[in-house]
Amino acid sequence: MNAFKRDKKEEEEGSGNPFQNIEKTTVLQETRIFNDCPVDSRKCTHILTKILYLLNQGEQLGTTEATETFFAITKLFQSQDVILRRMMYLGIKELSTIAEDVIIVTSSLTKDMTGKEDLYRAAAIRALCSITDVSMLQAIERYMKQAIVDRNSGVSSAALVSSLHLTKIAGDVVKRWVNEAQEAVNSDSVMVQYHALGVLYHIRKSDRLAVNKLVAKLTRMSLKSPYAVCMLIRIAYKLLEEEDSSGGASSYSTLFDFIESCLRHKSEMVIYEAAHAIVNLRRTTSVELAPAVSVLQLFCSSPKPTLRFAAVRTLNKVAMSHPAAVTACNLDLENLITDSNRSIATLAITTLLKTGAESSVDRLMKQIASFVSEISDEFKIVVVQAIRALCLKFPRKHSVLMNFLSAMLRDEGGLEYKASIADTIITIIEENPEAKETGLAHLCEFIEDCEHTSLAVRILHLLGKEGPRTKQPSRYIRFIYNRVILENAPVRAAAVAAMSQFGATCPDLLPNIQVLLARCQMDTDDEVRDRATYYYSILEKQDKSLANHYIVEGLQVSIPSLERALHQYTISPSDVPFDMKSVPLAAVPSAEEIVNPSGKGVQADGMLISTALSGSKVSAVAVTVSREESYAEKLRNVPELVALGPLFRSSDPVELTESETEYVVRCIKHSFPQHLVLQFDCLNTLNDQLLENVRVQVEPPDGYQLVREVPCPCLPYSETGTAYVALKFPEELGATIGTFNATLKFLVKDCDPATGLPDSDEGYDDEYMLEDVEVTLGDQIQKVTKTNFGAAWEEAGDSYCELEDTYSLSSVSTLEEAVKDIVNFLGMQPAERSDRVPEGKSSHTVFLAGVYRGGYDILVRAKLALAEGVTMQLTVRSTNPDVAELVTSAVG
Amino acid sequence: MGFWDKLVNLLGFKKKEVNILVVGLNNSGKSTVINHFKNEEEKLTEIVPTVGFNVEKFKNQNVGFTAFDMSGQGRYRDLWEHYYKDCHGIIFVIDSSDRLRLVVVREELNLLLQHPDIYGRRFPILFFANKMDVRDALSSVKIAAGLGLDQILDKSWHICASNALTGEGLQEGVEWLTQQVRELISNRS
Repeated sequence: MNAFKRDKKEEEEGSGNPFQNIEKTTVLQETRIFNDCPVDSRKCTHILTKILYLLNQGEQLGTTEATETFFAITKLFQSQDVILRRMMYLGIKELSTIAEDVIIVTSSLTKDMTGKEDLYRAAAIRALCSITDVSMLQAIERYMKQAIVDRNSGVSSAALVSSLHLTKIAGDVVKRWVNEAQEAVNSDSVMVQYHALGVLYHIRKSDRLAVNKLVAKLTRMSLKSPYAVCMLIRIAYKLLEEEDSSGGASSYSTLFDFIESCLRHKSEMVIYEAAHAIVNLRRTTSVELAPAVSVLQLFCSSPKPTLRFAAVRTLNKVAMSHPAAVTACNLDLENLITDSNRSIATLAITTLLKTGAESSVDRLMKQIASFVSEISDEFKIVVVQAIRALCLKFPRKHSVLMNFLSAMLRDEGGLEYKASIADTIITIIEENPEAKETGLAHLCEFIEDCEHTSLAVRILHLLGKEGPRTKQPSRYIRFIYNRVILENAPVRAAAVAAMSQFGATCPDLLPNIQVLLARCQMDTDDEVRDRATYYYSILEKQDKSLANHYIVEGLQVSIPSLERALHQYTISPSDVPFDMKSVPLAAVPSAEEIVNPSGKGVQADGMLISTALSGSKVSAVAVTVSREESYAEKLRNVPELVALGPLFRSSDPVELTESETEYVVRCIKHSFPQHLVLQFDCLNTLNDQLLENVRVQVEPPDGYQLVREVPCPCLPYSETGTAYVALKFPEELGATIGTFNATLKFLVKDCDPATGLPDSDEGYDDEYMLEDVEVTLGDQIQKVTKTNFGAAWEEAGDSYCELEDTYSLSSVSTLEEAVKDIVNFLGMQPAERSDRVPEGKSSHTVFLAGVYRGGYDILVRAKLALAEGVTMQLTVRSTNPDVAELVTSAVG
Repeated sequence: MGFWDKLVNLLGFKKKEVNILVVGLNNSGKSTVINHFKNEEEKLTEIVPTVGFNVEKFKNQNVGFTAFDMSGQGRYRDLWEHYYKDCHGIIFVIDSSDRLRLVVVREELNLLLQHPDIYGRRFPILFFANKMDVRDALSSVKIAAGLGLDQILDKSWHICASNALTGEGLQEGVEWLTQQVRELISNRS
C-alpha cells in the first residue's frame, strides 16, 4: 500500500525535475565519455548539466574526485560546440575551488579570451579569474588589461567584475589596472560603465581624497548609465556621512547639490536612490528634505508596485526622524492602506501610526485589526514596532494599544514575533507606570499558554521584579505557581526564582511563599529543587539584608570571570576560603548601547546605505559585554603583569594623538586592586619606518610609584603594538586622581616601503609628545546595578559611613545635563532608572551605585534642584570612609 | 562493422579523428611545431610559454589530428599523465642544441614510457630533434643513442631532425605518424 502511495506521489511530481534521482558516483562515472574521440557534444552537455546540478544542490566532491572530473572536463576544449564550451567554463568555475592543479587550463582559457569567438570570451575571462592565484596573475595581467577596454561590452563587463573579485586575493595587482578602468567608465554601455565605476571605487576606497576626486570628476561628466549614477549617489552619500562625522564641510554643498540634481533625473531608479540618500542623511534640514519627500510622495501613487513599495518603505524608515516632512504625505499613505499588496499596506499603516495624531490612533488600529491576520510574521513585527513607538509617544493611549497587543499575543505566530510583542509590552510597562498593572496582567495571561520556553522564563523574571511592587502582589502568585505545576524544568526553575522575590519583598506573603517553596523542594528536576531549597533557607532566616543581597540583587560578578576564578581555585587548593570579592564585576552596558545597539553595525557596513540588521544588533551587544573580558584575557598573557591580581575595571580607549598623525596612540586605563596599568595601543602609519623598543614614558603625579614598563619590541608599518606601564596607586586615596604627562619613545630604523625590511641595523632614538592621560574617579569605580536601591540605601544607613555635601553646578543649566555629567563623572550605574528626568520638573533625585577598587561599596544619592544653575545635595554612603571622602572631594 | 564500413576504411575515404599528445621540455618548440601545422589564417605570429595546455586541430592526409599541446615547464610535467589514457600517438619534441638537459629528457621519457597508461600499449611515438639549424646541435642519430631509443620495443618510433621555425623536417615526421595511425586504426577494426 505504501509503495503504491509513493508511486502515485512520484507520478504527480514526476513532471517537475528530470534530475531528481541522479547520483553522484554514477554521474562521475559518466564523465568518462568526455575522453572519447570525437566528442559527443549533446551527451557531454547533458552530463555537465548533471554535475552542475549536483554541485548546486550542495553535493560535496572530494579532492580526488573533483580533480579527476576537472581533468576530464579539460578534454572538452577540443570541441567546437558553443553550448558545450560554455557549460565547460561553468564547470571549471565550480570545480576551481575544490580540484587541484586547476592552473592547467590557463593557456587554453587565455586563448579563448583573446580569440575570435565572442561567445567564449566573457565566459573564459570569468573562468580564468576563478582559477588564478596571486602568483599566476602576473602572467594574465596583460590580457586582463586588454579585456577591460575591449569593444565588446560583455567582455569588458566580465573583465571588470572579475577584477573586482580578484581584489580580494591580489588588491595590489588590480590597482595597476586603474587606467583601463578609467577608460571603461567612458564606455557607451550602461553595464560597463557601472562595473567600471565599481572597480574604480573599490581600488580607491581606502583613500578618501582620491574618492573625493573621483566623485567630483564623475558628477561633472554626467554618466549615461542609471546604474552607475545610483552607485555614484551611494558613494557621494557615504562621503557626506563621513564628512559629517569628522566635521569637515569643504565639499558638502557640491556633493549635496549633485544628489539633489539627481532628483530630476529621467530614470526612476536614480530618482529613488537620490531621494533615499537625502532622507537618510543625518543632518538634512527640512528645506533640503522637501523635494526628496515630494518625489517619494509622487512614487506613492505610481502604478508600479515596486515603486510604491520602495517609497512607502523609505517614508516608514524616516517617519521617526522627520515626522513633519512625512506628515505631508499622509493623504497618499491613507490611500495605500487599501492597496492590494499587503506589504505596501502594512508599511503605509505603520508609517501613519508613527506620524499620526493622537486622535487618529483608534481609527488606524481598527484598520490594522482588519488585515493583521493576512500578513506575514515579518510585517507583523513591523506593526508591533510601530505600536511600541506609538505607546511611547502617546502614553494615554496605552489601554487601546495594550488590548490590541494582547489580542495579537493570543494569535498564532513564531517566536520572534511573540518576543517582539512581549518586548513591547515590557517597554511600555517600564516607561509608563500607569500601564504596569494591565501590562503585567496581559503577560500573566500569555504565559498560561506559551510554548516558547525562553519567552516564558523572561516574563517570569519580569514578574518577579515588578510584581512585588504593585498594589496587590498576591494576585500574581497564582499565575506563577501554576507554571510550577504545569511547565517544563527551566520554566519551573524561573517560576521558583520569581516566587522567592515576592517572599523577599512582601513580608505578609512570606508564610505562603514558604509553603509553596517547600512543595517545590520535592520537584523531579535538580535545578528546581536546588533553587527552592536555596531560597527557602534564606527566607527562613527572616534576615532582611541577607534576603536583599542574595535574592533581590542577584549575582553582580561577571560569569566568565567567576568560572575562571573558581577553576583556578580548584587547581591550586588552599586553606583560604574562596573570596567572591576577588572576582571582577560584570560590566553594565551603557544606556546608549542598549538604546542604539545597531549604530555600530550600520557604520561598519561597507558602501551601501544599509538597513539595520537584527544580526548586527546581537553582535554589538555581545561585543560590549565581552570587552572587559577580552582585555582581561590580553593582560593575563603579559607575564610581567600577572602578579597584579584580577582586573577590576578597564576604561574606554582614549585617543592621545590626532587621528591622522605619524603615530596613532590610544590609551586604556586598567584598574587593579592596588595598581594602575596604562595600556598604550600604538599604530605606526609611516611605511618607511620600522620602530623598535616602543615605550611610553609617563611622569606620574606625586604618590604614584612606577612598578614596571613593558615595551613593544617591534612595530612595523600599519601594525598595532601594545606597550604597558604599571603603576602602584598611592596610599592616600585623594592623590589617585591626577594627570600624567606622556611621551612616546622609540628607536627608528628606516626601511624600504615595499618590503618593510630595514635598510641597515643602525637606528636612532626619537620621541613623540602625547596628550596627557587623566586618571579620574570613574576609572576606579565599577558600575553595579541595584534593582532595589531603596532597600540597599536603608540598609547602608546603619552600617556604612555617610558624608554629605552641597554643591552648586554653575556650568550646567538643565537637570538632564547635570544628571548626565554626574553619572559620567562618577562612573557609577544609575539605579531604578533615576537617570531619566521627567519633563517639566524643577527637582530630581538620582541614585547611583558602584564598587570602588578593592571591593568597597559606594551608594550615592544626588538631589538636584533647578534654580539659577543647578544645586546638588550629594549624599555618599560607603563601607570605607576614605572612599566616601574621595567621592565628595572629587565632585567639588 | 559492416562490409561497407570496412571498405571505406580500407580505402581511407572516411575521415579519421585521432588525439595526439605533444610533450617535451620547456622551450623545446612544441607550440611552434603545432603552429606550423595550422591553417594559414589561424597561425600565431608570436609564441609565448604555454601555461597548462592548449588544444589545437590540424589535418594531414585526411586524418584529423587533435593535438594536446602540453606545457613543458617543470611544475606542469606531472600533469601530462592526465592525458595519456586516450591518446593515439605522441609527439616528443627535443631541443637538440640543449646538450646539458638531454639527461632530463631521458628521465622524462622513461617516466612516460613506464607509466601504466602507456606501458604495453601499441601506438607510435614521433621524436623531433628540433632546432637542427643551431650551430652545435646534435644529430638525430646521436640523440637517439643518447636517449636509448633502441630499447623501445613495444612501440613503433621514428626520429627526424627538424626546424620548427622554417618547417623543415616537420612534414616528413607527420607523414610517418599519419601512416602509423592509419595502420593502427585499420588493424584495430
